[in-house]
Amino acid sequence: MPREAEPSLNEKQFVIQALQENLRLDGRELEQYRPLELTLGDQYGVADATLGKTRVLAKASAELTVPYTDRPLDGIFTIATELSPMTSPAFELNRPTETEVLLSRLLEKTVRRSNALDTESLCLIAGQKCWSVRVDVHVLSHDGNLIDAACFAVVSALRHFKKPDTSMEGGVLTVYTAAEREPVPLSWLHSPFCVTWSFYGEQGEIAVLDATWLEEQVRVGSCTISLNRHGEICQISKLGGTPVEAVALLQCSAVSLTKVKEFSTYLDEKLAEDAKRRNKGGLLAELSAENDR
Amino acid sequence: MPLDTSTYSLALLRVDGRRWNELRRLHAQIRTQAAADGSSYLEMGHTKVMCVVTGPSEPGPRRGGGIGGGAGGQSKDAEVVVNIVIAGFSSVDRKRRGRGDKRTQEMQSTVANALAASLHTHLFPHSQINVSLHVLSQDGSLLAALINAATLACVDAGIPMTDYVAACTAGSTSTYAANDESADPLLDLNHQEEQELPSLTVATLGDSDRVVVLVCESRVQISRLEGMLAVGVDGCKQVRELLDRVVREKGQRMILEGTVEKGTGLNDLD
Repeated sequence: MPREAEPSLNEKQFVIQALQENLRLDGRELEQYRPLELTLGDQYGVADATLGKTRVLAKASAELTVPYTDRPLDGIFTIATELSPMTSPAFELNRPTETEVLLSRLLEKTVRRSNALDTESLCLIAGQKCWSVRVDVHVLSHDGNLIDAACFAVVSALRHFKKPDTSMEGGVLTVYTAAEREPVPLSWLHSPFCVTWSFYGEQGEIAVLDATWLEEQVRVGSCTISLNRHGEICQISKLGGTPVEAVALLQCSAVSLTKVKEFSTYLDEKLAEDAKRRNKGGLLAELSAENDR
Repeated sequence: MPLDTSTYSLALLRVDGRRWNELRRLHAQIRTQAAADGSSYLEMGHTKVMCVVTGPSEPGPRRGGGIGGGAGGQSKDAEVVVNIVIAGFSSVDRKRRGRGDKRTQEMQSTVANALAASLHTHLFPHSQINVSLHVLSQDGSLLAALINAATLACVDAGIPMTDYVAACTAGSTSTYAANDESADPLLDLNHQEEQELPSLTVATLGDSDRVVVLVCESRVQISRLEGMLAVGVDGCKQVRELLDRVVREKGQRMILEGTVEKGTGLNDLD
């Protein structure tokens, strides 16, 4: 397995010295993200998020299966992350690296364990039929801050996704095609987003948001905070690295909340724009199976 | 398993009769395995962990499973490789966990990176420090117990380090759903509380307020973070004192037994 090329000593020193003078190589502020862009696909549940040169594609899909025997009332929800050699030669197929394990654990904790998706609503017949929702995360290009981009893509894909409408009548389950009935969105409870901080300096006193790959290679520690816009922390992980003052971490969490609110508004705008594009002439309302109670 | 935490507000006592700022009994031993370079045994309440450190030694052939905190055998820093084995009998329900379990792998990498931050790995180029952790019994605060045991074993192995990495957990009395402002922070959660309440694991370096590890896996209001973190950091200082006492007592006993000569450097033990 080829190792990732490390930056040279001069390069490392240059980046660190610049950061100590509050400068970044691409001219950003320390707490500024690269331009975040989201493209929603023609198909429901396809989201392509780009953060500078980092690009992540997430695709949500659903199929009918039998629920797990120990959880007959819950649907199944999985997030599959795969870092292919396309991203970087250091990644190999079927041999998860540390990066991949940590990324998939983070997405799991942020989106799945925080109950962002109501899995109970995916159950159709208790113990017999349920939806299995799956999100596949493909990293198309890696230029640092994979976590934030991947998390944004996953949440966008799930928010955009619509599953086929179903009905139960007299014990008979009918699944309607998109032509028969307009598909319905998932029952979504809240949208968590990850914000990753990188720390630099002897004491980890310089905190930087959205590090590029070069910056990530020279950092001394990192901390990922997942929040939703209601100010609920879904997950924090600072897994070792140079110790950072507790007070600094609290400040980081406060700044993260403002960033998460920005992400949240951006995603809402994008989704509204997409819905408007699809709903030409306002015909969608007539196709909808949902009604006002 | 629903836990009745509503009684807390009546007596201000937790399910096991502790107050909010009390640690469970922390019992630790070092040099438990005579043949190992460093070893320790640690109990935090009913969470029991054993640790064996081998090294710094020449890196052997690369094995799968272990996740390193350093940058590989050829680097100028020693690599810290951590392996965690969770015994099948350690929890109430016998759950089989393979080596590929992502949660275990995450804990391995956390312990490795936490130790790498405190150990002076630059003194041992081209070498490897193997930390092997065995979980014998689980009752909450597992990650904290693992970090504490690994620190003690590294002290026993005589690997130079900046200071102790001491860890403990902190929680908050009401669940995230109940948005009440009167939530009290709690120190050192057991399994029952961990299931029910929002919690976080904190590890600090020595006496300082500097946080090495901060892991929170449950939903909690951002306003409660400050209180929980403060209690956690304070708990880490208590844990550090306890770990320090264990090391000093063992050192004194070794001098009395004549295992080591009373040298100049050891005078400050008494």
